[in-house]
Order: sequence, then C-alpha cells, then structure tokens
Amino acid sequence: MMARRFITEILAFVVALAVWQVLSMAHIWPEVLFPSPLQVLATFHDDLLSGVLLLNLGVSLKSLLLGFVVGCVFAVPLGYLMGLSRTSRDFFDPLVNLLQAIPGLAWIPFAILWFGLGQGAVTFIIVMSVFFPVLHNLLTGIRMVQPVLVEAVQTLGAKKIDVIRHVIFPATLPNLMTGIRLGIAFGFRSLVGGEMIASTDGLGYAIFNAQQYFQSARIVVGMLTIGLVWLAMDRLILRPIEQRTTMRWGLVREGLEQA
Amino acid sequence: MTDLLVASSVSKIYFDTVEKNNVKALDDINLSIRPHEFVSVIGPSGCGKSTFLRLVAGLDRPTSGEIKVADRKITGPGADRGMVFQEYALLPWKTTAANIEFGPRLKKLPKTEREAITRRFVELVGLKGFENKYPHQLSGGMRQRAAVARVLANNPTMLLMDEPFAAVDAMTRQHLQEELAAIATHERTTVLFVTHAIDEAVFLSDRVIALSGRPGRIVADRRIDLPRPRRWEALVNDATFAAHRDELTRCIHGKAQKET
Repeated sequence: MMARRFITEILAFVVALAVWQVLSMAHIWPEVLFPSPLQVLATFHDDLLSGVLLLNLGVSLKSLLLGFVVGCVFAVPLGYLMGLSRTSRDFFDPLVNLLQAIPGLAWIPFAILWFGLGQGAVTFIIVMSVFFPVLHNLLTGIRMVQPVLVEAVQTLGAKKIDVIRHVIFPATLPNLMTGIRLGIAFGFRSLVGGEMIASTDGLGYAIFNAQQYFQSARIVVGMLTIGLVWLAMDRLILRPIEQRTTMRWGLVREGLEQA
Repeated sequence: MTDLLVASSVSKIYFDTVEKNNVKALDDINLSIRPHEFVSVIGPSGCGKSTFLRLVAGLDRPTSGEIKVADRKITGPGADRGMVFQEYALLPWKTTAANIEFGPRLKKLPKTEREAITRRFVELVGLKGFENKYPHQLSGGMRQRAAVARVLANNPTMLLMDEPFAAVDAMTRQHLQEELAAIATHERTTVLFVTHAIDEAVFLSDRVIALSGRPGRIVADRRIDLPRPRRWEALVNDATFAAHRDELTRCIHGKAQKET
C-alpha cells in the first residue's frame, strides 16, 4: 500500500521530467529561454558544491521561519481572542478586513524605509503575508465549533479555560493547519518577491540576479529549490502532525475514496 | 423524603431569530422530582420539553420562576447535572477511555482513582475492548453508551438525557433502553429523560410527565408501577404497560388537537 503510493508519487516526477527533456531535445526554443533538465542538474550540482545555493537557501529559510513565527505569534492569540469575545471581535474585525485586502508585497516601500535593504525588510513583508491567512482560517475554525460539544463538557463541570483547552483548541486544529499551510505558501510568495526588490541575497535574489546574466538554468534551480523545500516541509512536518491529530480523530480524511 | 429537584412557576420565552418574534416555549411549570426517581418528559415536538431540560442543565435561563436542585438555585451548568445529548457530543479527539475519564480529570482526582472509575464504567456500559478507540471508530449505539458512561463516571446528582436514543436504530434502541433501566436501578441515579416516544417513556420511567403543545404546560403526571427489572420481551404484551401507553397517548394527542 505504502510502496504503491510511493511509486505513484514518484511517477509524476518521472513523467514531468520526461516531457521537459523531450521538449528541450526538440529544440523548439533556444536554450536560454528553455533550459534542459540536464543543464539544470549541472547548475544545481555546481551551486551546491560552491556552497552558494545552501547559503541563499539558509538566508531565505531564516527570513521565512522568523516571519512565519512572528506572524503566528500575533495571529493565533488574536484569533482566539476575536473568536471568543464579542467585544474584541467587533473592535478588530473591520480593521483586520481592511488590512487583509492589502497584499504583503505592497508593504515593500515601507519595509525598505523602516528596515533598510536586506532580510529585515523581507521578514517584515513575510509577517504581513502570514498573519492574515492564519487569522482568517482560525476565525473560521472557531465559528465551526459545535456548540453541543461545549455544552456537554460544561455539564461535566468544565470552566471556560477547560472549554478552550479541551474543546475549542482541538476543534480548531484542522483550520489552524490550513491557515498555517496557506500562511507558509503566502510567505514563500512574499519571500521571493521581497528578496527580488528589497534584498541582496536569498533565493529570490538569486533568481532575479540570474536573469540579469541570462543564466536561465540557475533561475530554474532557484525555483525548484523553493518547490522542494516546501515539499519537504509538508512531508516531514505538517503531514505527520495532521496524521497524528486531525486525521486520527476522524476530523479530516485524505480523500473521499474508501480504504 | 425531600425533593431533589423543585421547579416553581417556570416560564421560558425566547426570541425566534428566523421568525423574528417572541415564542413562549414553557408556561408555568411546577414540578418536583424525588431522589432516585426516573422521570420522563414527553410531548409533541416544539412543546418545550428539551427547553425544560436545558433550564435544569443551566444551559439556558428561565424567563420567570426558578429551578432548585438539592436546594441550590440553578444559575449555570455544573458537574452535578450531567447531560447526555441525542448527537452523543463525545470529544472526537479523545478515546473512549479519555472521554469517560474527562469529568474525574476535571475534578483532579488521583490517577489510580480515575483509572478505576473509568474501568468500572467502561465495563458497566459494555465497552470493554473499545477503550482506545476514537468516537468515529464506534457505532452509534456504542457512542451513546460511551456518552452515558462519561456522565455517570462523573457521579452527578442528576442524569439529564435529551432524546438520547433517537439517532440509533430500532434494535439497538431497545437494547440501550433495557441497559439504561438496569443501570439507573443499579446506580440509584436520578434521571430526567426527555423523549417524544411514549412507549420509551413508559418503559423506562417511574413517572411520566406529559406536556401540551406550545406553550408547554403539564397535562399529565402519571406514576408507572411496573416491576423492575424491565424487559421488552415481557412488557410488549403487558396490559398495564399498554394501558399507560394508551392513556398518555390520548393525553398528548387529545390536548394537541384542542390547541390547533
């Protein structure tokens, strides 16, 4: 079962690579516009050995994680506060809605003015991008908590703090996980955009810089690295958390098929 | 014997947010329940029987009048009045054992005592072997057994039940009714049971209260003097059982027709 699934998943990459290789071998476009998989692999190998890839990756991951953590540190408590208190919801809701419509990248000019060119500015933009999807999904999750669960534990003697700990928090976990996924995804977008404009290192900067020198294989290396990092985060961190919590509890399934 | 529950002139008016008007659900309910009594409240849908149960649970407040349990006026929900809901309301993120252990854990009982209580009630409701299953892995009947065990493990003064067997299939329902009747006798629990099924009320109860259609008023208060333990096999053709059932049916339907 596991093996079959693994093979199916690997197959997708094999097919994508084959199509890419065939297209590049057909020489429809010049190599600078459409680099071949082998070219990309060679560049990947070079950049890995020279250390430049890992250096840029390290810089980007640091901004991403810091921005993500700071964004969540503000969004998660505010989400529970707004979800559980009518007054604070009425107070914050219009403001949050107004700010939500502003893309993270729109903060670039101020980010540069406030933090100067560099990863400080990039981190700030990531914070602004992570904050809203996490908050929004958390609020949706709190709205979806079944009142009967709260009432049931109240008749067992639960006080407000017990209700939050034993009902609200686990019940909102599926939506919180969705918020975290979207938050990281939005964070990646802002990371690359932010580094192109507001930084002198990182993966986004590397992609931007490669374009200046027509190193199209290097652009693809940067793009694929981002994709692979996300895939690794999903497989090694987010999915195991979900398998141990929301899926185990029967709140979320992988799909609708039987077995 | 002093009464365990005393409801005095309880009325409830609530605002219907869909219809945008005030609805009088309960009108001047006066009711006393003695310790260890099994009392069912029946009535047509919308008669306010569940509303009354929620008032006793402290999940809603009466518009006028008051309810006292063990001489204390009800001001909110509490561990002394555990409730079993039609939709089970087990916590999906806790195993059967952890759900049953929940009340004792809130009371901060020592671990060995909690485990002993959990084991006892798992066995009492016949869920041995399913302790480590999550609610979504259990059948409807098993979930309701776990929900009953969860409340009983918390040693409440009163067990409140809101149409607990309405969502399970007919065969399972009869099993659960027999089990509940036996457990309530054995544990000497005071039970307030709400249902729209008249035969269920007669089968389970020492006393059946019938409410009229909206607003709910008490139209009958009957003592059910059938011997215990009660089994469907024996009662299905029992004349006393049938007489109670038919008389209560006339009470509810006769009254409902006059009202409409």
